Amino acid sequence: MEVLTPRSLDEALRLKSENPQAVPIAGGTDLMVAINFDRIRPNAVLNLNEVPELRGWSRANGTLRLGAGLTYAEAMREPLAGLLPALAEASRTVGSPQIRNRGTIGGNLGTSSPAGDALPPLLVAGADVVLASVRGERRVALGEFVVGPKRNALAEDELVTAVELEPASAAETFMKVGPRNAMVIAVVSLALRAGEELRAAFGSAGPVPILVRAPRDDADAFPERVAEAAAPIDDVRGTAAYRRHALRVLTRRALDRCLA
Amino acid sequence: MLHAAVVRSPHAHARVRALDLSRAREAPGVRAVLAPGDCDALDETAEFEGRAVVAVAAETFGQARAAAELVEVEWEELEPLLDPEEAVRRGSLVGEPRRYERGGYERGLAEADAVVEAEYRTQTLNHNPLETHQCVCEWRGDGLDVYISTQYIWGVRDDVAAAFGLPPDKVRVICEYMGGGFGAKNGAGGYVTLAAELARRSGRPVRLALTRREENVGGGNRNATIQRVTAAAKADGTLTALGGEFICSLGWGGWLASTAGPMQLLHACENVRTVEYGAKLNLPAMAAFRAPGFVEGTWALECLLDKLAAELGLDPLELRRRNYANVDTMDGRPYSAKELLECYRRAEPHWERRHEVRARSDATWKRGVGLASQIWYGGGGPPSYAWVRVGSDGRANVVTAMQDIGTGTRTAMAQIAAEELGIRLERVQVQVGDSSRGPFASISGGSSTLPSMGPAVRAAAADAARQILEIAEQRFEREDGTLSLRGGEIVSPDGTTWPLEEITGLLEDGQILGKGARGPNPAGMRVLTFGVQVAEVAVDVETGEVVVERIYAVHDVGRVINPLGARSQIEGGIIQAMGHTFSEARLDDPHRGTVLTKTLDAYKLPTIADVPEIVCELIDKPDAQLTNLGSKGLGEPPIIPTAAAIANAIRDATGADVTSLPITREEILAALREARERERVGAPSA
Repeated sequence: MEVLTPRSLDEALRLKSENPQAVPIAGGTDLMVAINFDRIRPNAVLNLNEVPELRGWSRANGTLRLGAGLTYAEAMREPLAGLLPALAEASRTVGSPQIRNRGTIGGNLGTSSPAGDALPPLLVAGADVVLASVRGERRVALGEFVVGPKRNALAEDELVTAVELEPASAAETFMKVGPRNAMVIAVVSLALRAGEELRAAFGSAGPVPILVRAPRDDADAFPERVAEAAAPIDDVRGTAAYRRHALRVLTRRALDRCLA
Repeated sequence: MLHAAVVRSPHAHARVRALDLSRAREAPGVRAVLAPGDCDALDETAEFEGRAVVAVAAETFGQARAAAELVEVEWEELEPLLDPEEAVRRGSLVGEPRRYERGGYERGLAEADAVVEAEYRTQTLNHNPLETHQCVCEWRGDGLDVYISTQYIWGVRDDVAAAFGLPPDKVRVICEYMGGGFGAKNGAGGYVTLAAELARRSGRPVRLALTRREENVGGGNRNATIQRVTAAAKADGTLTALGGEFICSLGWGGWLASTAGPMQLLHACENVRTVEYGAKLNLPAMAAFRAPGFVEGTWALECLLDKLAAELGLDPLELRRRNYANVDTMDGRPYSAKELLECYRRAEPHWERRHEVRARSDATWKRGVGLASQIWYGGGGPPSYAWVRVGSDGRANVVTAMQDIGTGTRTAMAQIAAEELGIRLERVQVQVGDSSRGPFASISGGSSTLPSMGPAVRAAAADAARQILEIAEQRFEREDGTLSLRGGEIVSPDGTTWPLEEITGLLEDGQILGKGARGPNPAGMRVLTFGVQVAEVAVDVETGEVVVERIYAVHDVGRVINPLGARSQIEGGIIQAMGHTFSEARLDDPHRGTVLTKTLDAYKLPTIADVPEIVCELIDKPDAQLTNLGSKGLGEPPIIPTAAAIANAIRDATGADVTSLPITREEILAALREARERERVGAPSA
């Protein structure tokens, strides 16, 4: 297996364009599992850990820009945690401390799992995903970026470089049900932001994370609307019926917490 | 050293139609290849997934694995038998059904004021020791050295010697340290035979280590059970009958552990009838797993008892007290010692907390307290031997060919020898783990290491002490039997003391050699261990989440040698039980019979975030009838009652009747719905 290690974003995009089959790796918390399980055998990996442009986060004109290389541990730290509390809460539920130190927001987007813990908080924050290639840069709304289970809108020469989103102007929260208290894939997860508009997004209850919106006045009917929007399946972690039920309960609790 | 990889059946039931080894034999680094016919551990018929078909040894593990992938096997798939009830109907059993009856069961039912029945189920569980099964085999002349992760070096010696037709002492087995076994490493197993045969053919040492995936398929398991049980009692709680049918999904082999044991042994009841079936299925065979049978059986029995208590309107602790057994329930023998009543007494304040715990419930979180009692063997037994060597520097060396499986046995043996010799702990060294460098010692299974080995070490240390004192008495012209060893000194009743080295120094290169043997267990007595656990839970009645907030454990295992080690055993047992209760389950494909949970990603062990507050207490009263030590084992007792105590706490909190393990959120919600339905139907019409 060939390891390509670019030192700048330009070099990374050039290498990706020359080696479209190279699989990007940052923390490796998804990719290395897939390799260890022999689900994939990439001929080349594109190591993004030495690309400075992907690191950290910034704020300009009221918009937050999170580099694709932002780790969960960084998302849990102030002042960012105060700007995006639901993302911070979601990050705290990811894996173990080691995983949170390695795993990145960009990686969670690239994997596009319906169970990706960062995706519901990003959805309620109205995130756009920034994609770049040697051809240039484009922005795709997160809801359109993830197109199916572990499938997304990335072209073969593109990389996720950042997400852009609004900081929380209203109360927001994140909740997750798992088969044990740590290091689990969610049975169901939910992020809720209660501003002028109610926004809920959930994971593990459909082929992609789904965003549901309603006017603030419709809070009473909102849990049912969220449950109805789900398209869950039965699997080893839980049944579809349980997932729908749990979504209803979590939404009501999240509303109680955010509207209190 | 070479490394081995094994080609295994991917099917639960299949036959090899064609086998092509040519590419594997030619692969880089390959030094030996074994096929069916070369070794008994390989077979062309697979009756369970993971059956070994071909083994390869190569210069590196990567090369061995690559060569194994080049072995071409054409399989003919056969229909697997996977349903335990179907196996019982067809008579596909391991051994005969085991029937037990005392008194008159039907009469007991007829005399009862209340009868409760239920079906309880438990899941298949993997041991998952940190270290998988592994060994290195090396031939030296006509003898074989086996370095191995095992709970019983002498058992491995005998198994391997038999497999190769060697005199037992031509096989030397070494296990200095190992990463746990939980019962899965009580013997050699086919993988050792493969490594030894590959080593024999290649003339090189061979390492064979199961991968985690191989371990979670073929490393042994706690078998699943279906238990249909009945309890009957008078209005005052006196049990009049206990009965049960136990179907144990053993897989292709294994043995029928006593799932009915708790029902037969724990509570006084004159009329008991049980039948146990060991269903033989196309699944990997079970292996002993920390109190095999009793963990599963106690779950059903102790949940059933609380159901009975609810039916009778009796306090569950009082119900257990009213059925206290003063002599052995099976044959009337006296117990060598039994402090279960004292356990109940000490558990009482923790049980009393239920009023305060319940009062902390709110609309969402219901809280409650439950308890369960526990009985198990753990008395150990002969034979076991130890030597204690004291040198001229006054230091002692305990030599015995036992193994420390991670339970702190070395430390316990050093403590026993140090106390007997009156010297500081750090002046005692313990040498274990080598069948050619020490006398025979017990298996580390059945909670028997300490009660079997401790007395032998104590006897050996006492023998050495006696020899030292005899020399001292001669030299200092004291009467026989007047001197003693204390605080590193030889002490006379008149207050005179001499440093121990003043006598041992005379030895120069000589040594005092004390020898000790484990004596018999007391004749005509039943030696058992006892305990009670009290669980406090909070149940989220909307999502079905259960949080175990606290577990109090009190156990009676006679004299406690190492309080910290004992507490670790209790905590470890309870943490493992948390996994058994909530998250762990081996899942099998229901049609193909293949294991779906091969990795620790899919098979969910408890994490530190799942561990409740654990409060431990030990009665710590030496069993005066049992050996020169009065100690019993504690490896198994703490895992036995936990699941039932938790389920009983869930019942206390919510009225929900959970009957199968692991307890999932969905089962909780279903049980809550049933409980509400019962209340609705049962409520008197206004």
